[in-house]
Amino acid sequence: MYSFVNVHKRYGLRTVALRKLNLDIRQREFFVLYGPAGAGKSTILNLIAGTTKPTSGDLLRNGHSIVHLPPERRGAAMAFENYALYSHLSVAENLAFPLRAQGIVKAEVEERVRKIASVLGIGHVLERRPGFLSGGQRQRVALGRAIIRPADIYLLDEPIGHLDAKLRHKMRAELKALAEDMHATVLFTTTSNKEALALGDRVGVLNSGRLEQVGTPHELYHKPANTFVGSFIGDPPMSFISVSVEVDQGNCKLRTADGRIIGRMDTPPPTNATLKLGIRPNAITLSDTEMPETIPGRIDVIEHLGHSKIAVISAGKDNISVSLPAASPARIGDKVWMAVNSSGYHVFANETAIQRGIN
Amino acid sequence: MLNQKHSFAFEVLRYGLIVLVVSFFFFPIFWMLLTSFKPETAIMVSPPQFLFTPTLENYRHALVDKNFLFYIKNTLIISIISTAIVVAIGSLAAYSFARFNVGDGHILFFLLSTKMMPAIAVILPYFLIFRDVGKTTVGATLHLGLDQHGALIVSYVMFNLPFAIWLLVSFFQDIPRELEHSARLDGLSRLQVLRKVTFPLAAPSIAVTAVFTLIFCWNEFLFAYILTRKMASTVTVGVESFFTLQGILWGPVAAAATISVAPMLLFVLAMQRYMVRGLTFGAVRG
Repeated sequence: MYSFVNVHKRYGLRTVALRKLNLDIRQREFFVLYGPAGAGKSTILNLIAGTTKPTSGDLLRNGHSIVHLPPERRGAAMAFENYALYSHLSVAENLAFPLRAQGIVKAEVEERVRKIASVLGIGHVLERRPGFLSGGQRQRVALGRAIIRPADIYLLDEPIGHLDAKLRHKMRAELKALAEDMHATVLFTTTSNKEALALGDRVGVLNSGRLEQVGTPHELYHKPANTFVGSFIGDPPMSFISVSVEVDQGNCKLRTADGRIIGRMDTPPPTNATLKLGIRPNAITLSDTEMPETIPGRIDVIEHLGHSKIAVISAGKDNISVSLPAASPARIGDKVWMAVNSSGYHVFANETAIQRGIN
Repeated sequence: MLNQKHSFAFEVLRYGLIVLVVSFFFFPIFWMLLTSFKPETAIMVSPPQFLFTPTLENYRHALVDKNFLFYIKNTLIISIISTAIVVAIGSLAAYSFARFNVGDGHILFFLLSTKMMPAIAVILPYFLIFRDVGKTTVGATLHLGLDQHGALIVSYVMFNLPFAIWLLVSFFQDIPRELEHSARLDGLSRLQVLRKVTFPLAAPSIAVTAVFTLIFCWNEFLFAYILTRKMASTVTVGVESFFTLQGILWGPVAAAATISVAPMLLFVLAMQRYMVRGLTFGAVRG
């Protein structure tokens, strides 16, 4: 198990890459670090790899600090986002490099290279130099070089981010199966919502160096800790409406800016808090006539996803994404009324979740 | 059709310009080559002669009478040893500047600043230093005195090292750190990484730096002229020796110059492909 204890990482004087990180990565788990570019995902990998050191805090492996161990004694294997392939060596030599470095005999090296190349579908390019490969092939070589040898932890930095959609889908499944076969501990970074939810046993959501929430994909989707996680997990993301609360005989009603009631709360929120209602796209029902507790809006955009449609509806200052069946007759410009499913919304006070809906 | 005519005219103009520029740069070399085969009577005549009976007399004079190969040998010794030292020290220093930012840029700037003064400014101190060092036991053993190979080698290393480091720093900076990180994670020590990953990747760039350094050493005149008399004189000084009190021996000068230019010209032509690769060098990335 790897544990980050109050790890703070700064580059130079001003750039803070990680703020007070506390995180456990368990044995044999597929842990996904998910966040926008510059959130600190790669920094976490580099800290485990030993290619950078924390500014303060400690990093433990099975309870022992590894901060002072050089990279070669960290027991980690890594696939880099920019591939980091040795351009002076062939693909086969690139794949064999980690094995040769460990003094493994030639016959076994060749056998393992052949095996990993066939798993990754790069058997036909083994003699080529990396400069003569496509982006997708390079990425698979980089991935192959990381997983070719046994390691305590595999650090995969956006390893399938540059592949085309079809190949990415295929690799996602293969990677998950491979990790299970190898009983490996994997730390995987991504900027893709789909990859995070599909691959992770647990997912850590990072934002500007801060770990916003750690949980299973189910927990993150259904119980986001704050508006950032709500807006970042799910595709299309959660929509937000500014609301105010009205306490009436112990009953807390949520009102929109134009005074319409659209939901209720069990307990009153902290006083003076800025309240937002977070709504998942599938928690809204549209009607073309006004009903009680609905909000009016106009359909601005319709995205066709094949199996369904996404309508982006403007309601006052807010834009709300709504999931519709593929056969829905809704068209751009339609005026609609939105009813929020009573259990499908989350209430956030000052960006932090205080009441969670259940979808 | 109009467009085609236009582009034909454009092509003519383009190639015309290319020919003009190329002839401007190559004419001196061509004239040198021509003069080296001219009999003495045909050299300084006006108008200049393009047609004449070629002779090897100038080459005989330079090679046999003046023993010009002796200068070539000196130049080879001095240039090759200087280049080897410059590349060895330069690549290690450049790696350290590129990766660890040693001296926070100040040391690198100081090194470069030594190139900001004209060579003539330091030639007198150099002369005095080598004169005195040559008299010491260590200096004598290392041939560091005046008119000895060591003195010129040390001077050339001093003068070429800043440029070589500066050139190599940017090459090393272009090698992504992740390549080294990856090799470290695979179990190599820092020195093994240098030997197996970084230097093989930088090889084309190091070759380019070596070529430039070699050319600078080969063509240097001022230091060679001041610090040597006879025993350690290089080709540039050798050519100058044809400027005698009786007059300038243009024919032998041209022959000697051709002989001194030839090795470098052939060398650079042979290295051309490698040099272009080195100058446009970049590791594989996304």
